[in-house]
Amino acid sequence: MVTAAERVSSHKWGMAVDVDRCTGCQACVMACQTENNIPLSTEDIYRQKRTFAWIRIERYWYGDFPNVKARFIPIMCQHCENAPCEPVCPVFATYHNTEGMNVQIYNRCVGTRYCGAGCPYNVRFFNYWEPVWPSTLRNQLNPDVTIRSRGIMEKCSFCVQRIRRGVREAAQEDRDLVDGEIQTACTDACPTNALVFGDFNDDNSRVSIMSHDDRKYTHLDSLNTEPNVVYLAQIDATGGAIGEHE
Amino acid sequence: MASGEKTLNEQPQTDNGRPAWVKVLIPVLALGGVGVTAVLGFVMVFFITAWFGNPLPVLGFDQSPVQPIAFPHTAHAGSELLFNDDGSAKMDAEGKQLTGIGLDCTFCHRTVTDTNVAGIPPVETCVTCHRVIGSTQSEPLTLLRTIGLGDDPGPIQWKRVHRLPDHVRFVHEPHIRFLTDVGNTHVIANRDEAAILAGTQSDGSVLAAVTCSTCHGDIKSQTQVAQVEPLKMGQCVDCHRKNDAPTDCTTCHF
Ligand code: HEC
Ligand code: HEC
Ligand code: HEC
Ligand code: HEC
Ligand code: HEC
Repeated sequence: MVTAAERVSSHKWGMAVDVDRCTGCQACVMACQTENNIPLSTEDIYRQKRTFAWIRIERYWYGDFPNVKARFIPIMCQHCENAPCEPVCPVFATYHNTEGMNVQIYNRCVGTRYCGAGCPYNVRFFNYWEPVWPSTLRNQLNPDVTIRSRGIMEKCSFCVQRIRRGVREAAQEDRDLVDGEIQTACTDACPTNALVFGDFNDDNSRVSIMSHDDRKYTHLDSLNTEPNVVYLAQIDATGGAIGEHE
Repeated sequence: MASGEKTLNEQPQTDNGRPAWVKVLIPVLALGGVGVTAVLGFVMVFFITAWFGNPLPVLGFDQSPVQPIAFPHTAHAGSELLFNDDGSAKMDAEGKQLTGIGLDCTFCHRTVTDTNVAGIPPVETCVTCHRVIGSTQSEPLTLLRTIGLGDDPGPIQWKRVHRLPDHVRFVHEPHIRFLTDVGNTHVIANRDEAAILAGTQSDGSVLAAVTCSTCHGDIKSQTQVAQVEPLKMGQCVDCHRKNDAPTDCTTCHF
């Protein structure tokens, strides 16, 4: 019999991002912001250079004038197997769990910010202030996600609240999970399906199939971080895939 | 240098003849010290008991808040004889002593078996019965009827009794599923087997209601709900370990 602990840890969650499909529309950014109770990046916060975005769209130009083209790359926590942020945490508030996720335990965090300094992808954010929402937004906060107080590091969690709910509901109905059943907020919102979420332990899942594509690359390969987020390079109509940027 | 010698020489003199105010000060300081120690000790006892379990039920540290309507679980969920606050037997109109009506917990806490929250019944549930049941003299029932039978039946502002900190996610459903699963041949620790046996139906299923006591104590016999289990992380993780439930931090913290 599968124990409850085995049922949870039998997955290896990951994401595949098809850069060729990304139009840079920012729907994922908004979806993430609302799903995860991310503090608002107001003008004041922006001027302090302390804005939050668990997922952001990086924009690159390529080609020479007049044939300039834009390339959009969504960047979120890469959930590295070999994460530079983990060993530097003095209190084990961030660690790699059995499901292949790099998790952040807010109540364990003491706010040293070492992990933020260690992360080469710049996807960890520190709460310099107590988050405040205008009264009109209070009721849209997600009750399934802890509101991080001041002095705490936060980052993309692969929407762990949705994973927990999905796994639990499957167990409740006594059935196996179906690929695509669990969606993170960003993959749910993506209109072009550039973002795909799934289980790498399932050989037939969409992420597994995409991770065997020729266009597959991972970011900052040279650092050997072994991310659980894989990217598929953009196809240039004039010939060949455009390689990884450094 | 000279002043230094002087103080050295004067030292024994001050010891011999203390000024009067010093003599008064010593017992005051001594008593004050005892007082401060006592207060600190008292505060520490509070914090330590709060840390290990339930705080002492004094000075508003009570784990049993007074509810806006004195709702008795004894009358609804229990099936024992009922008594008034002063200890006298509670009688109905014909002078027979009332007993609880033994409703199932899930009659009111409807969502406990399929979602994370158990849910508190809406006032409409109460007034389906209390439109007629219960004396018109009863103070809590009069209050209930004004709230529930008016033009705009408002919610009752119940005070929350069991509440985990904001950084903890608790889900009822897997626990009820696990505790009622008689076919579970797996290690079952912390399960009240006698209660399970008593709650087993003829078709082999177990009533959800018998499992609540694992974490909530004997609610049936409480006139005012109190938290009797500490429900700290140690208790949760202990049971999870024994029963091979997930203990990864993101099970409960995210
Ligand atoms: C007639 C409806 C009804 C029935 C039946 C009932 N309850 Fe309740 N329960 C309530 C109401 C209303 C409240 C909120 C008022 C209060 O806390 O006293 C409540 C509160 C509670 C609470 C405290 C909630 C909190 O705020 O933490 C617990 C625990 C609870 N009930 C458990 C049970 C159990 C266990 C049973 C079965 C033995 C049961 N209830 C049967 C109506 C009911
Ligand atoms: C199934 C019918 C039923 C439902 C539903 C029900 N009750 Fe009762 N209630 C009773 C009975 C029977 C008694 C005992 C009769 C008595 O005390 O006069 C009682 C007694 C009470 C009393 C004690 C009255 C007194 O005089 O001390 C209160 C208060 C009360 N109920 C409140 C509630 C509230 C609040 C709800 C909604 C959560 C509720 N009841 C739902 C049947 C019900
Ligand atoms: C494994 C322990 C456990 C069991 C078993 C359990 N509860 Fe709870 N219950 C809790 C905890 C912990 C909370 C506080 C939840 C929170 O603050 O998020 C709670 C809260 C509640 C509440 C108030 C908040 C809400 O969810 O609406 C009610 C009512 C309640 N329980 C009823 C029940 C009933 C009825 C049963 C039996 C069918 C039951 N519980 C079984 C642990 C348990
Ligand atoms: C009586 C033993 C027991 C106690 C006490 C207990 N749990 Fe559990 N819990 C379990 C078991 C067993 C499971 C796994 C059930 C399953 O899915 O088969 C579980 C599952 C869970 C889950 C769902 C895990 C998932 O699959 O997503 C959460 C969340 C949880 N418990 C939180 C808590 C918290 C918080 C407390 C403390 C207030 C607590 N539990 C106390 C036995 C217990
Ligand atoms: C089965 C559920 C469960 C699991 C698994 C769990 N916790 Fe907890 N944790 C709790 C509960 C419940 C509390 C709240 C206790 C209380 O009332 O103060 C808590 C409180 C805490 C606190 C105290 C916060 C404070 O302000 O006092 C820390 C720190 C913490 N947990 C860290 C962890 C870490 C690190 C892990 C992983 C190794 C973990 N927890 C796993 C249930 C859990």
